[in-house]
Amino acid sequence: MAHVVLKDLVKTYGSFNAVNHVSLTVNDGEFVALVGPSGCGKTTTLNLVAGLIPITSGEIAIGDRVVNDLDPKDRDIAMVFQNYALYPQKSVYKNLAFPLQMRKLPREEIDRKVKDAARVLDMTHLLERKPRELSGGQQQRVALGRALVRDPAVFLMDEPLSNLDAKLRVQMRSEIKRFHQDLKATIIYVTHDQLEAVTMADRMAVMNGGFLQQYDSPAQVFAHPVNMFVASFIGSPAMSLVPLEATTADGETVLTSAEGWILPLSARNARKVAAATSNKIVLGARHSTIKLHKSAVPGAVPAKTYTVEPTGDITFVQAFLAGAIVNISVPPTVAVAPDAAVWLEFDQDRIHLFDGETEMALNAD
Amino acid sequence: MSIAGERPVIPRRSRRQVDGWRWAGRIFLVLMLLYTAAPMAWMLLTSIKSGFAAMQMPPQWWPEEPTLASYAKLLDPQNSVGADFLRFFWNSLFVSTMTTILAVIVAVPAAYAFSRFSFPGRKFLFFAVLLRNMFPAVIFLVPLFILMRVLGLVNTHGSLILTYLTFGLPLAIWLLKGFYDNIPIQLEQAARIDGATRFQAFLLIVMPLSVPGIIATAIYSFIAAWNEYIYAYTFLSKNDQLTLPVGIQRFFSENTTDFPGLMAASFLMSVPVVVLFLVLQRYFVRALTEGAVKH
Repeated sequence: MAHVVLKDLVKTYGSFNAVNHVSLTVNDGEFVALVGPSGCGKTTTLNLVAGLIPITSGEIAIGDRVVNDLDPKDRDIAMVFQNYALYPQKSVYKNLAFPLQMRKLPREEIDRKVKDAARVLDMTHLLERKPRELSGGQQQRVALGRALVRDPAVFLMDEPLSNLDAKLRVQMRSEIKRFHQDLKATIIYVTHDQLEAVTMADRMAVMNGGFLQQYDSPAQVFAHPVNMFVASFIGSPAMSLVPLEATTADGETVLTSAEGWILPLSARNARKVAAATSNKIVLGARHSTIKLHKSAVPGAVPAKTYTVEPTGDITFVQAFLAGAIVNISVPPTVAVAPDAAVWLEFDQDRIHLFDGETEMALNAD
Repeated sequence: MSIAGERPVIPRRSRRQVDGWRWAGRIFLVLMLLYTAAPMAWMLLTSIKSGFAAMQMPPQWWPEEPTLASYAKLLDPQNSVGADFLRFFWNSLFVSTMTTILAVIVAVPAAYAFSRFSFPGRKFLFFAVLLRNMFPAVIFLVPLFILMRVLGLVNTHGSLILTYLTFGLPLAIWLLKGFYDNIPIQLEQAARIDGATRFQAFLLIVMPLSVPGIIATAIYSFIAAWNEYIYAYTFLSKNDQLTLPVGIQRFFSENTTDFPGLMAASFLMSVPVVVLFLVLQRYFVRALTEGAVKH
């Protein structure tokens, strides 16, 4: 196992910058998720690490070795592809043996390692089958097996679960997590599914438009998103973002909406607003931090419900507030009707404030 | 609603229409089958008649005294007709096989390059390859003859092989490129990560998967070269170099035509093509990449 260091990594296609000056370090044994919407550069970044496409500028080091100019085969990596990329003409056994044969291991050792891997992944009975005779989940396992049979320095995984059905995906998610815990493997895992990233990764790198937005533990990213993109991308349902205006009333800083209501701010939040570049402020709040009232209470602002989605143990309510849609969760015992007038109370300690011009999070210090 | 009342009527009417079309289709297919199979059957029947029986009017629908004499004559190297036929057969086999081998050797890497690599002029080259096939073959007859004379290749099999490559290669490259486009690039990437060089990934992973494509291409080139007449007729004049399509003409002469011999020769000429097809046809239908990747 080894650490991976990306330094100022750039990949351009013509005039299009797929990866923009990305720098990050993956520690030895760490599970890092690259997460972002499609086209954000996460898969390109992974392919750069794998050496499948040449980098435009920057540096990639695996272990203590700069691998910029090394062929994929010399980088000591293994990769699991989104479509599995199993060799269709080879049996499962030969698929697993291929990386070992390429490294010219003795026949007995290959046989032992293949059978070990098959036992770990519980597919000893499938060894003689061809990939097309396997179910999606089994194919996925073979792909995983082909990666781990070689004991590489780094595992690269490119959306390995996105082709599985929902139930199997959850099951394989915990298997991969377990696999990481047992092997203490260094894993770089690409996904567009923020839930996978949050649940599996030690640290997650949120990317957008080829830029690294935030690189931190899932808890930190969740609690302190650095900008509006990260705030709205991480968490489900997404964090609600309400565009407001900062004004001063009676010497106090408050947020006012186009609808006319006023949201007073705590002293700490007022300091945050003071740091903004303009009076345009975006209020962010997660569904669980908003309290829903059916009648007016002091400090709560008026909204109108839009949809009500019961999920069993929690009911999600969408409401219009100052032209934006706000997600609120309430216990299933609370009956809420669509198109009803409600009042929303924000928790001053748990709201997020963003600069409406730069879209960056505002900090008090 | 009114739809409920109409519902039983619609499928009945449409089924009757479909049936009508289906029968028309069947009749058409039977006619097509007769149209293509009858001459072949007649060829076979004539080839086992005696020379006299073949000329009878009204014709003998079924030969009264079937004989394999024509075949025996053609396959007997001691007989002058047989010696010629076998030499033509061998010439055709040589020219067609060489054309096929060269076409595959050139088309495989060319098609792979067009499919996988981006290089300057890729699009232009790819369509330039097809330019040759946009004109009737005869147009190139005189220019190619002059070219072959300059190269000193007239009256050699080399002239034919080169010429057949100019028809065969463009289509071979197009066909194979389609095959390579359908092989997911992730397979090669996986192989390269698993320890293969780029060339090994091509050789060990991509090549086996493109075998059906290569075989289809090879059959195509072989048949085209095997059946070609006009260039062989123009480029070759020495008797011992003729290929079968040209050589078979020798069965026609001013006074008599040996129809059973001609038909037997025609039948023998079609044998390699039919055998090739029967042996290799399973490769056409086998979807080898199934199960490689999940879509």
